[in-house]
Amino acid sequence: MPILLLEGVLLLALIAIAVGIILGKNLLSAIIIYCAFSFTAVLLYIVVGAADVAFTEAIIGTISTVYFIIAVKSISKGAKNGRKKD
Amino acid sequence: MEEKKTKRKVALGLLIVVVLVGIGALKVGSFLPTIGALDTPANSNISDYYINHAYEDTHAHNIVTAVLADYRGFDTLFETCVLLLSGIAVLTILSSKEKIAQKSDKEMIEYYRHSTFGSALMDGAFRIVVPVILIYGIYVLFHGEISLGGGFQAGALLACAYLLNRIIPKFDLRKQKAREELGIITAAAGAFFYVITGVLPMIFGGNFLAFGKLPFAASTIAELHADGILMIEIGVTICVAGVIITILEVVLERTNFDD
Repeated sequence: MPILLLEGVLLLALIAIAVGIILGKNLLSAIIIYCAFSFTAVLLYIVVGAADVAFTEAIIGTISTVYFIIAVKSISKGAKNGRKKD
Repeated sequence: MEEKKTKRKVALGLLIVVVLVGIGALKVGSFLPTIGALDTPANSNISDYYINHAYEDTHAHNIVTAVLADYRGFDTLFETCVLLLSGIAVLTILSSKEKIAQKSDKEMIEYYRHSTFGSALMDGAFRIVVPVILIYGIYVLFHGEISLGGGFQAGALLACAYLLNRIIPKFDLRKQKAREELGIITAAAGAFFYVITGVLPMIFGGNFLAFGKLPFAASTIAELHADGILMIEIGVTICVAGVIITILEVVLERTNFDD
């Protein structure tokens, strides 16, 4: 039962972090919150018992974060400051 | 005002779509078997076989590696090919874009003198970490049959080490960085090595990827399977590392970080 509870907590945390990504002030903060999402997913995989998948997710999560940051840097300056205030 | 109205309409439409998809997913989810239930087809027949015979068949303690590289070797081959294709696609799309003008050596030295990646401390720390990551990547590759890991993770770790080494300022600026074409050729060589491992048993009278017929000296068939798994893991590692490095180089050469 405690394992199930832990799973539930982690799943709820995933949902909360996903909402946080959408509400992020700018793209860079969204990427960093996405990194947190990836590592929460790692914890979830470990709890479920898929250690191999967790290992892969940890590495790929790190590398993809770097790629996202490079992508944000390479797109236009107007988009970098996030949503416009209207 | 008009713009705001359309925006609200779009948001309303999206909300309706989300709610409908959610209801549909919940409805479908009630028909699916429970996660980990023992009476599903996947869990009742084939899982038992893998769990009971994986070590006898392949000498791999880690069943995940045994399934990925041996029982499902054909799947893994095409996963590797998909990865290679993604690298080629990125290279094809972005190679039409113009490269940022490369700085001369003198400008580079001036640039690096005033800008470090994080701070001097961070740069120093990264320099220490890079060889450790490299060794860990090799360890993950060769230890994948016994503990966690395997080709994909090892390749990603090696690429990670390259990435760190690439973004920290270097003392020796004359050192050439890897070119993007070289990266994709390396990746292709990795996938080719995988295919060769599959074709070798065919020459000696087996099926494609039937490692029992590999022409190596080994006392049992299971050891041959272990050899085959190691060979295709090496192929996958080279392919993954090549693709990640290629994408990194292609994007970095067209990105301006000066601002």
